[in-house]
Amino acid sequence: MAKGKRPKSGAHKPGAQKRSPSVVAPPIADGGDGETAKSHKRRPASPPARLFPVDTRFQQMARRSGGVPRDQAIERAQKALEGVKPAFEEFLEREVTGLAEMVKKVEAGQDEPGWIETATFRARQLRDSSGSLDYELVSFIAGSLCELLDSIEAGGECSMESIVCHVDALMLARQKSYRRMKPEQVPELTKGLQRVVKHVTV
Amino acid sequence: MNLRDLVILVADPSSYISMLIHGMLRGFGSNKILEVRNSNGVLQTLMGQKIDIMICDMHLPPHGGLSLTRAIRGKTDNEHRTMPILIMSSDSREATIKRARDAGANMVIAKPISPASLYDRLSWIAFNPRKFVDTATYFGPDRRFKIEGYPGGVGRRAGDKEVEIGAESGPALAQDDIDNLFSSVQTGQD
Repeated sequence: MAKGKRPKSGAHKPGAQKRSPSVVAPPIADGGDGETAKSHKRRPASPPARLFPVDTRFQQMARRSGGVPRDQAIERAQKALEGVKPAFEEFLEREVTGLAEMVKKVEAGQDEPGWIETATFRARQLRDSSGSLDYELVSFIAGSLCELLDSIEAGGECSMESIVCHVDALMLARQKSYRRMKPEQVPELTKGLQRVVKHVTV
Repeated sequence: MNLRDLVILVADPSSYISMLIHGMLRGFGSNKILEVRNSNGVLQTLMGQKIDIMICDMHLPPHGGLSLTRAIRGKTDNEHRTMPILIMSSDSREATIKRARDAGANMVIAKPISPASLYDRLSWIAFNPRKFVDTATYFGPDRRFKIEGYPGGVGRRAGDKEVEIGAESGPALAQDDIDNLFSSVQTGQD
């Protein structure tokens, strides 16, 4: 018998039906093989994604000629920041003192509702403003305090000792001889704060 | 980049930070800068006038800058729906940046902000307009894009120095990595 004409074994079984090759078997809805049933499930039709161009007024206007060249713009912005530095030192003094007084009251058991939120706000403000103005040590300590306070807000241990430790570090860093220092110039202080945060937040 | 006569809304709970950003924007040539301290202030301002771009803090009270971004993008009858939104965040963990991207933010800028990093992100938004995507679950700038470099831009910020203080305390990302995250969907990494 020629190879191509050999009859299929199933075709000789009683009740076997010959399928048309164009007919696709319907998916097994239930009771069949789990994997097969899953693969045939149909997702509900969702509307197609629409993709459209947007050219906002900001983009149109910002592309006009006559703007300030990048280097000049950055230089002018830096100058503007330099101009606020003397006022920043007063702000730093005020914020650190305010933070220290609040923490002292909490430590003494006085009722200070929402003190964590206030302390977090102050610490964030100090971290971000001192960072922009290149008061790196202040920014580092305030950032470390933020980490600690965020962890307390998230339900972590509230270690007053750790908070006081950070406030003391800020009190030191606001002093004239320290305020322009970089964290790597006072490694004992920075490593100590990192250990404190790690101990409390882990 | 020409920022003259463009209305820029700075939304940050801290008046001090707003003042610093205001100073930087003035240096860039901007002359119309508005400041608000919370989401309600943003929504009231948007109802009252046309804002060209919003620079918004991630922790803007009461519900945060991402909720506000989603609200602006989600409201269909809102003329500010496609307004560029630049989110400022000191939390540069990957998950946070992805949340900002998925809320519909155009870009994320890491706090503390430097003039160069702010200029370059604004410039990138201005010179690289992206298509918007409208689906059942997302409305916002197409998240599939690639940053080819800022116009005359910088890489890392001047403040991103190699300072070895101790063990890394968390997977915070540098600004470059934040920017690159916005392109990860395209490459199938998200």
